[in-house]
Amino acid sequence: MFSELLSSSLLLQGNTPETPAAAPFFGFIGCTAALVFACFGAAYGTAKSGVGIATMGIQRHDLVMRCIIPVVMAGVIGIYGLIIAVILATGITPDGYTYFKAFAHLGSGLSVGLSGLAAGMAIGIVGDAGVRAVAQNQKLFVGMILILIFAEALGLYGLIVALILSTKKSE
Amino acid sequence: MWLQEISPYTWAAIGTALAIGLSVTGAAWGIFLTGTSLLGAAIKVPRIRAKNLISIIFCEAVAIYGIIMAIIFQGKYSYVENPTAAPLAIFAGFALFWGGVTVGFANLACGVTVGITGSGCALADAQNRTLFVKILVIEIFGSALGLFGVIIGIVMTTSAKFN
Repeated sequence: MFSELLSSSLLLQGNTPETPAAAPFFGFIGCTAALVFACFGAAYGTAKSGVGIATMGIQRHDLVMRCIIPVVMAGVIGIYGLIIAVILATGITPDGYTYFKAFAHLGSGLSVGLSGLAAGMAIGIVGDAGVRAVAQNQKLFVGMILILIFAEALGLYGLIVALILSTKKSE
Repeated sequence: MWLQEISPYTWAAIGTALAIGLSVTGAAWGIFLTGTSLLGAAIKVPRIRAKNLISIIFCEAVAIYGIIMAIIFQGKYSYVENPTAAPLAIFAGFALFWGGVTVGFANLACGVTVGITGSGCALADAQNRTLFVKILVIEIFGSALGLFGVIIGIVMTTSAKFN
């Protein structure tokens, strides 16, 4: 009878071996990693290419609006992190949260976050060099866009893996 | 396990502190990055002073995001009898900690970005009046990152209740 009381009280409390109270800790790490690392990547991309645009604008102010493309692509990396962070944050609940879900969410968040960080840094460095080159020779614009698309695809790969991991079901 | 034995109030309080502390660090960093360039460029071109204060205000907004989130988080910090035995309190502690870390670091990145871009904006404006609005567009992209942090901080902590 005592063991029945104990197990029922544990079930009432929600802290069972299947749904331990420590599981949300790891789920939240995934959510934070998704947003923070993607934000770092987007921030680096925005700042680095922003400096390049401010510099080349002095020579060629007519090309500035076309050259804002690296900044937009860096912003999209931030959006990838935001999407996954919202999916993860709404998926982490106080009840019925298993270690299976927690670590799937952790992997999901880390995958989009770290890929976004890398992609954002690549976009920033290529964007900076690219806009400075476009100011000198406009024919290089298409080349810069192609390289930026390849860098953006890296963030997309992270988003794909994150989406697959975040929707993993244990049944 | 040790994660459940640490008082949830530890997690909640440190998360709230990180939300405001790191956001203000980002805002301060951005303000000094923009301010030094603005003041240096304005020596020869004093007309840029008034318009470029908007870059400083964008950085200050990052600190405002941090204080709003910290006030929301501290509102959830309420007394429970035996917190390490209440899974809801443990969940709330973790949610507030990681929510605070998210808001703090996102605002840190945002503040530095807006600062760097604002510095570029002031220097470009000093050379050519028409560049101000164009470079300001980049700053607006940068300040969106702080808003992402705020959104995720709110979504993470909506279901975080101590009792």
